[in-house]
Amino acid sequence: MLRLPIAARENWQQMAKDYGFLFHTMYGQAYWDETAYYQFTLEQIEQDLEAPTEEIHQMCLHVVDQVARDEQLLTKFAIPPDYWDSILNSWKCQEPSLYSRLDFVYDGKSPAKLLENNADTPTSLYESGFWQWLWLESNVDKGVLSKRADQFNSLQEKLVNQFKVIAQYYQVSYLHFACCKDTAEDRGTVQYLQDCAKEAGLDSYFVFIEDIGLSIDGELTDLQDNVISHCFKLYPWEFMQRDEFGPHAVSSGVGWIEPIWKTILSNKALLPALWQSFEGHPNLLPAFYESDKHLMNHSKYANSKWVKKPIYSREGANIEVFSGSITDLSSDGPYGEEGFIYQSFVPLPRYKNNYTLIGSWLVNDQAAGISVREDVSPITQDMSRYLPHIIL
Amino acid sequence: MDTKPVKQKRSQYIDLRKMRKSFAIKPLAIGIASVLLSACSGGREDAIIFTNLEECNNTFPDMQAKCEVAYQEALTEAARTAPKYNTSNDCESEFGANQCRQYSSGGTSFFMPLMAGYMIGNMMSPRPYYQPMFTSYSRNSSFRNRWTTADGSIIGDTSKRNMRVRPSAFEKKPAVTRTISRGGFGSSVRAKSNWGSSRSKGWGG
Repeated sequence: MLRLPIAARENWQQMAKDYGFLFHTMYGQAYWDETAYYQFTLEQIEQDLEAPTEEIHQMCLHVVDQVARDEQLLTKFAIPPDYWDSILNSWKCQEPSLYSRLDFVYDGKSPAKLLENNADTPTSLYESGFWQWLWLESNVDKGVLSKRADQFNSLQEKLVNQFKVIAQYYQVSYLHFACCKDTAEDRGTVQYLQDCAKEAGLDSYFVFIEDIGLSIDGELTDLQDNVISHCFKLYPWEFMQRDEFGPHAVSSGVGWIEPIWKTILSNKALLPALWQSFEGHPNLLPAFYESDKHLMNHSKYANSKWVKKPIYSREGANIEVFSGSITDLSSDGPYGEEGFIYQSFVPLPRYKNNYTLIGSWLVNDQAAGISVREDVSPITQDMSRYLPHIIL
Repeated sequence: MDTKPVKQKRSQYIDLRKMRKSFAIKPLAIGIASVLLSACSGGREDAIIFTNLEECNNTFPDMQAKCEVAYQEALTEAARTAPKYNTSNDCESEFGANQCRQYSSGGTSFFMPLMAGYMIGNMMSPRPYYQPMFTSYSRNSSFRNRWTTADGSIIGDTSKRNMRVRPSAFEKKPAVTRTISRGGFGSSVRAKSNWGSSRSKGWGG
């Protein structure tokens, strides 16, 4: 695993415009960064990332099966009781999932360690599935990169196939797509998924989350009063469940993508639950519920650092890193009211003063590629940059 | 090409033309644009539009049962997918005088256009395709004298009955209803975004 400098393609900003990649620069700073790339060996990709990703996914599904049937665990996961039945039902019906992203600490040598599972609303999908693919193609075409260079990235292909599976499961020829207003990034991600759905032969209708309506018969509607029957939403279940229309999300009978059983996976309580079931697994970090905090006093953790994470949080907000009673690092934010979990702290590897995080994608249960993000801070937040990668 | 690894780890092929966005000028009316686009693409099929059951029976005297099924199902589909209006006036200003009917559901009533015809395709198969058609007699409507689907896509001029349409013209449309309130999703996001700076980043992770 190497970080190598490379010249940015001269025309990339024009290309970004042509292809509708509108969020490559945010807050006036580069988000897409092609002044360098990461190089992996095929062994690193296949043995250290691809295989563990699929294995961890299966372990996660094991936890879903446990939690969905256990009121005590559902309480620990801070899932509102009104949704317990729907979650179990959705899980029993095996409502199809589209995608997830596992975030790993990985340095090319030691086993990748799972930081968290973005199972409900992962982003950086367009950059991963299409834009870095195009970056490789153009650099190979120009002879800048070797013809033998490959990339771990079959995302787009697999997304198109999974849309066909979902259409088959629900027997539909069109889907609604929704995200929040005022975010170019989310709208771009959803547009990309609409493009993939189209490639799978599905029509798509778009509505902003805030514009969704409720009909006289209790159905959800778009701005044209079309009934929403099946909908991809780039909006977290934990927010939906706490919104005014939350109960209607369920009672309206909408087939949601991601399905509601993903509430269990996109939740930091997943981490202690995984550790309880698979303690010692090489790709897991020790993790504990707040109620089990005393277990962290065990002598084997005497030299450990811990990170305290809110059960619900996004983009590295409200994180605290500590050892004993000393706080090393912390980030503030609006999360934490639902409680916290503790996870053993492993620093992200550093490459040229950057902290590097690997996102490993799943489409349904298949590993589908990786994304590499860098941050100048040891806690990856929303100012991180996205860098392409190759396999050579 | 021959130097590519045997087992490629990335998507084999992406159609770049389909990924381009910059030339995609937003159409004023989706329906009109799709007619223009489809005129230059292949894969079209024959379709006939009838304004009542009798016309179909006369055209296909040996397939009257199919005409009947398609007509009845198109009527049901029309009720399900037609645009719904609060008042008779709103409906008639789009579709013309006496072109709307009252419809009741859940204790309230609203107005929707009458089915003006139904389009049939693939008549030789055991299950022909069908789609309800609407049209407008209103001077200020873009649907005036045009066969239109429930979602506003224009199929062609009402002076024509025999059409060549894309297969997607027969696809099922979403049901249309009346919305009584909006804005019930998104309050959690507003609460969280009061914290910190305004953001262009989304809520994904």
